[in-house]
Amino acid sequence: MNAYINNYELLCNAGNTQELMQAVYAKESAIVVDTTYLKDATAGLGKMSYDTIFTAMKEVTQKVLKSSNLENFHNTLLILGSSVGGMQECEEIFYAQSSFKNIDANRYSMNALSDYLLETFKFCNARALSTACTSSANALVLAKRLIDVEAYDNILVMGVDGLCYSTVLGFYSLSVLSNKQCTPFDANRNGMNVAEAVAALLIQNEKQSTSVELKGVGASSDAYHMTNPDPTASGAIASMKNAIEDADLSIEDIDYINAHGTATIANDKVESLALETLFSNKTYISSTKAITGHTLGAAGAVEAIVSCEVIKQSLVPPQTGLETLDNTHINVPLVPIEMRVKNVLSNSFAFGGNNTSLVFGV
Amino acid sequence: MKLYIQNFSTYRSDRDEVNIKATLKKEYHLETRRQSEFIHLAVYGGQLLKDKISIDPSDALYMTSANGDIDVVQRSNTYVNKEKQAIKLFDFINLLGNTSSYYVAKSLGIHGKNIFQISNHFTYIHTLISLYSSLYHSQTNAILCAVDLAPNPEEIAQRVLGIEENTSLVSSVNYQKFSLQSKDAMAVLEFDTRSYTLEEMKTILASNRAKVHGSIRCKALLDNDETSFFETMPSAVLNEAMKQSNDIIYIDCYDEKYKILKLKNLR
Repeated sequence: MNAYINNYELLCNAGNTQELMQAVYAKESAIVVDTTYLKDATAGLGKMSYDTIFTAMKEVTQKVLKSSNLENFHNTLLILGSSVGGMQECEEIFYAQSSFKNIDANRYSMNALSDYLLETFKFCNARALSTACTSSANALVLAKRLIDVEAYDNILVMGVDGLCYSTVLGFYSLSVLSNKQCTPFDANRNGMNVAEAVAALLIQNEKQSTSVELKGVGASSDAYHMTNPDPTASGAIASMKNAIEDADLSIEDIDYINAHGTATIANDKVESLALETLFSNKTYISSTKAITGHTLGAAGAVEAIVSCEVIKQSLVPPQTGLETLDNTHINVPLVPIEMRVKNVLSNSFAFGGNNTSLVFGV
Repeated sequence: MKLYIQNFSTYRSDRDEVNIKATLKKEYHLETRRQSEFIHLAVYGGQLLKDKISIDPSDALYMTSANGDIDVVQRSNTYVNKEKQAIKLFDFINLLGNTSSYYVAKSLGIHGKNIFQISNHFTYIHTLISLYSSLYHSQTNAILCAVDLAPNPEEIAQRVLGIEENTSLVSSVNYQKFSLQSKDAMAVLEFDTRSYTLEEMKTILASNRAKVHGSIRCKALLDNDETSFFETMPSAVLNEAMKQSNDIIYIDCYDEKYKILKLKNLR
């Protein structure tokens, strides 16, 4: 059984799907330099406009339902990927009261977000995946596999992460935060921008006229180091190869790669090596994190939507923020490229060498 | 859906007295620094499984837990928001779900997919469904680690899990190695994606001959005098049944919906 992405919507620092794609093609980064989270330092962050993460999720989910062929989600499975779950709300209460006493435990654990949506929209079932920055990419992997075995006809995949002190301070303590708008693949890149987003994709076993197929999925585990990728890029290469093979395609069939491209020294170096090894200098590659920042557990879903839009618009995104390409053996465009885009590969890599690659196509 | 169990391992803090950190260092010669108690527990269970059966680098790893590592959440929040200190680097790293699965994958030499899946109900059964769909495609084997750490104090986890205050939480880790092939299997486990109503469950159980076990949430169907609890308990109950060579049915309940696991021993 094939898995088709029939409807989607997102909310990120650049706005909704349409606004994000406009920013991507216009190379207008939506990253702001912020002083809220760090005492004596600044950080480039991707902040979105919303009331609470729960209301933002509800709005995005409602939009997807409204645009779909479903009357409700009662026969739909929810799979939600998040790296910190309801931590944002937990922090707010703790910060105000210095105590866990008044924290509603059901609103801060990893599955608090999926439980909220389960209750609000009466999904037939829900589950949450947490593999840090690959969380929602792995939710898409699971959705494809569950459709493969005909366990469900409709699956809503969500990627959700809200900005919180734990993540901003945590990445700061790892010395990987940039104090300006990040510049993926640039020789002078100085780190990533932590960001937030809510993204939802409805995956169904029936093709529609506007469907994009989730053709292939691949995953691998470096098991090399807790925070650094394997410098030989073996894990990243394996996950991309697995996804392309799963899609029954060859390297030459991939028209564009939406890279993980966080703009950290370690990620971009290893991902570039993996891309150079597999694709040499042929396939177009860019990272839209220069616009959105790194939305952590939501990134896989956000970039899945970007991948679908690239296919539909027949327009390859340029690399925002790039001045001097670090690895000159990969093909990173500086302007939008008009071309027929049949297949897109999207990468998500996470701590612990948890690698996931997805192939979308028509 | 049908999965064959090649082998298993079990640890429960209310039944086994083990200094896990010391055992990991002395018996298994593993690095334990910078890791939380939750990670130690997960890695320890993996070593118990490795003692019994070979693990292939291409095996997939699935980890599941009801609420992960609550202690590290409390600790990091206390540092940042109460004591106004910077977050400690390894608290941040250990806060993330796939940190635990990384350490388990590394200690078992697994390079296949690794997934940390969490849900506060049907935790174990949901992960079995994910694992099955993955194996169905890859035709490899998979290791499932079901782990719960009793937090200190228990109050928050009791509230999350919706259990009574007089029910004590137990730390436990249970592993199974699953395959789609029956060769060398100890048992076969059957399950599906559907949920059953109370009335449907009564009908199913009326015609059942195997011994029935259930969670403390199944009071409408079973007398259960269990005073200890952990969310991934079905995994431990299945392991105990395999140890005793018993065929069993395990039922779980959430929000008046029931799910069933059927275990049949093959040895």
